[in-house]
Amino acid sequence: MERLLNVFHVFSRIALIFGLSLLLPISVSLIIDDGAHVIFDEAFFGTIAGAGIALIATRRFNRELNVRDGVLLVVMCWVLLPLIAAVPLLLGVPGLSFSHAYFEAVSGLTATGGTALSGLDGLPPSINLWRTELHWIGGLGIIVLAVAILPMLGVGGRQLMKAEVPGPIKEAGITPRMAETARGFWVIYIVLTALCVLAYGLSGMNWLDALIHAFSTVSLGGFSSHDASLGYFNSPVIETITIIFALCSGVSYATHFAALSGRSFKPYRKDGELPYYFLVMGASVLLIATYIWQAGVYPAFATALRHAAFNTVSVATTLGYSSTDYAQWPLFAPLWMLFLSSFATCSGSSGGGIKMMRAVVLYKQVFREIIHAVHPNATTTVKLGDMPVSNKIILSILGFGFLYMFSTVFFTLILALSGLDIVTAFSAAVACFNNTGPGLGLVGPAGHYGVLSDFQVWVCSFAMLLGRLEIFTLLVVITPTFWRN
Amino acid sequence: MNIPLSVLRVFALVLMVFAVTMLAPAIAAYLGSDAAAGAFFRAFLFTFLAAFILWFAVRGHAAELRRRDGFLLVSLVWVVVPAFAAIPLLIHLPAMSFTDAYFETVSGLTTTGATVMEGLDSLPFSINLWRAQLVFLGGMGLIVLAVAVLPLLGVGGRQLFSAEAPGPIKESKLTPRMAQTAKGLWLVYALMAIACTLGFHWAGMPWGDAVIHMFTTLGLGGFSSHDASFGFFNSPAIEAVAILFMTLAGMNFATHFMVLRSRTLSFYWTDPEIRWYVGILYASVLGIAVYLWLAGTYPDFFTALRYAAFNVVSIATTTGFASTDYALWPFFAPLWMLFLCSFVTCAGSTGGGIKMMRAIIVFRQLMREVVHTVHPNAMRSVMLSDAPLSNKIVFAVLAFCFVYMAIIVSLTLVMVFTGLDVITGFSAVVASFNNTGPGLGQVGPATTFKSLTDFQTWVCSFAMLLGRLEIFTLLVVLSPAFWRK
Repeated sequence: MERLLNVFHVFSRIALIFGLSLLLPISVSLIIDDGAHVIFDEAFFGTIAGAGIALIATRRFNRELNVRDGVLLVVMCWVLLPLIAAVPLLLGVPGLSFSHAYFEAVSGLTATGGTALSGLDGLPPSINLWRTELHWIGGLGIIVLAVAILPMLGVGGRQLMKAEVPGPIKEAGITPRMAETARGFWVIYIVLTALCVLAYGLSGMNWLDALIHAFSTVSLGGFSSHDASLGYFNSPVIETITIIFALCSGVSYATHFAALSGRSFKPYRKDGELPYYFLVMGASVLLIATYIWQAGVYPAFATALRHAAFNTVSVATTLGYSSTDYAQWPLFAPLWMLFLSSFATCSGSSGGGIKMMRAVVLYKQVFREIIHAVHPNATTTVKLGDMPVSNKIILSILGFGFLYMFSTVFFTLILALSGLDIVTAFSAAVACFNNTGPGLGLVGPAGHYGVLSDFQVWVCSFAMLLGRLEIFTLLVVITPTFWRN
Repeated sequence: MNIPLSVLRVFALVLMVFAVTMLAPAIAAYLGSDAAAGAFFRAFLFTFLAAFILWFAVRGHAAELRRRDGFLLVSLVWVVVPAFAAIPLLIHLPAMSFTDAYFETVSGLTTTGATVMEGLDSLPFSINLWRAQLVFLGGMGLIVLAVAVLPLLGVGGRQLFSAEAPGPIKESKLTPRMAQTAKGLWLVYALMAIACTLGFHWAGMPWGDAVIHMFTTLGLGGFSSHDASFGFFNSPAIEAVAILFMTLAGMNFATHFMVLRSRTLSFYWTDPEIRWYVGILYASVLGIAVYLWLAGTYPDFFTALRYAAFNVVSIATTTGFASTDYALWPFFAPLWMLFLCSFVTCAGSTGGGIKMMRAIIVFRQLMREVVHTVHPNAMRSVMLSDAPLSNKIVFAVLAFCFVYMAIIVSLTLVMVFTGLDVITGFSAVVASFNNTGPGLGQVGPATTFKSLTDFQTWVCSFAMLLGRLEIFTLLVVLSPAFWRK
């Protein structure tokens, strides 16, 4: 119990900062006068007051955090902050149930981008801004943000980041000082976002839309302010910009950071994941373009290539925009895109899935097993780039890979049990668990998650959180071992 | 391609043994004077002669088989023998294509039980007997059979055994001498065969049907001599006998053997797999019975229980009989059954899938990872029957499970790519790969695999072989590393 209060104390500090992020939609709402600022005012004062009271009430519980506390804090943030984030949505969107509002907030913070709302174009712009701001905050990690701006969180900062930052090898390419690293990540993130706003704005979006879509592009989220997603703009230039920034964000921020602080391109060349990442993306775009062209979906290859490039990169990087209803394509294409989304992004990026690094290690380990089958006593190592990977890491990656696939099967079965058809159930499970967003069937790019029942929406919310925290962080907290002393 | 001649020599011997088994349906056809007698005699002569000529050509090359040769021999046997087994079908049914005939015999030998043949009831008895006999022979393993009857194969028998026998820990328990082990396993198998035949006959089957269904029950295959499978008999007593023997055949035959040898049942209680196997199997039976009853598929609970018990046990043990068209049940039920068939049967049984043993090891390894997350420096081993497992086995098991799932995903993508709908494509792959038999959709229990194109049929044949040889044996032989010097 004391542990819980202790962690809750730190959490209330984070909630306090999180409350400040409501100032952005408040000011935008005031400037453009869309009438929604009252909602955000209420949410803002409510959050600040609530967090403040919690902070004072638990002020005695401020001892250092250990590993277990760190895990607990991360889980607490990711489960409870969506509650706060959902308040403006509940107040601002008529007819939205609590389950669906929480889903929307989780989908925002986990940078998933599957929406439970329809009629986005008619919502106050500040609400849409809030939705994608959630993407932006969650994309790089709530804790990373907190560590960056709250030096006092430095206690056990490394542990906290470990529990939250995606990818198997957490310490790679990161400076020993956590706060510094976190700040470095955020600087790159902010620079990328600013460039993206600029690019969108200059190519024809209005500046508010540019900000909204930049938030969601760089975080690989996928919310849009239009029901037709990026198809609304129907502009090859905007689509190209999206592709470039999505690809950038799918690369490890540690590599960006190393390149920027060393002012050289060398880290990119040394990153063992990048060749696979670009190869898989490029090959898949060509494959799908050829496939849908051959199937006669688009008469011209150039058109096929345009839509294939945009939608494939968008889904594979777990962004989740669509420029057309790709669910209408022959089934193999969207299935392949969903398949890519489960592993294509790099570790330490803002994308989801098992990450390319793990996929490469798994692939190499399988070959190692084949060699072992023929030569049982051979000594071999798995290498990534030039670095040998230790058996301990391989073991945990294998476990992760297995658990990952098992969870997908599990969520599919639960959703099927609750009455969804197989295509919807499976694709919703995959799209939520990989933090991609749109699935197929009922929840396809032309549909939305609003049609799911309360229970199904809760399953999806859980899947998104589990995927974002890379399973173990969340799983550990629900095992009895964790609570035993 | 340099296939060592010593491998060809042993292969020729195995083929000769196999040719002799063709005499059983030949004699049955002769005695019953059905139309296929000539087909079997001709097939026998051709196969035996081919094997003999091959043996004669390489008879001098009696070198000791190495580990590498073992993989090659086992793959060779399993890929080539079905082609010879298809000869009687091709002679008797001139309209059947080689693709379909090969599929049918692979399906038999791998104990899958998926069929491309319709109008089974009107086929000659000997043809149905042959199909069922293939299941029986393949169930225990072609090499095991050869090792049991040909002592001269003792050369490197252990290597062969480990390449063919299902399960992660090949060298455990049993007698040290391979030929003796093989004989012991066949003894258990034969005793169960007698008991099962008597059981079926007592429950009301005519002798011929009793033998055919005994073959496919113990082999966990699923071929029947009736299009309606067990629905033809519509007898609770027959279903009960089938359930009992399917359950027994899903256990490790080594455990049966030890119980028989020591005349004490205690080995059943100490077997690490059996309680999980029986527990999960029968909990699922109850769960699905309740689910069907609540969904209103059957008006009273006992009818629901009867159908759930038979069909769930049949699919989960990878047999593949059906007593009703369970594809019409609410979707979750058949999906859960397919899920079960991928892991429920025990290592060393005649069933398919990843085996309960591996599932247990993976589960314990995941628990270990969870503990590691909380206590990074804790030393823990994965325990099985009170003995710690080496990391090497854990590695192999995890890699196996990963490859297993990766293959299901990739083959499903191939099936969808060639134009099947998701349900048919996915379930055909799962049912073939787990050696279960009927899938859903176009390949459901009420239909056959006939509607697939030639290419799709070959994919299924490949999946069945891959599943039966537990992936690595075949994968190793297909890898370039194997052929490099």
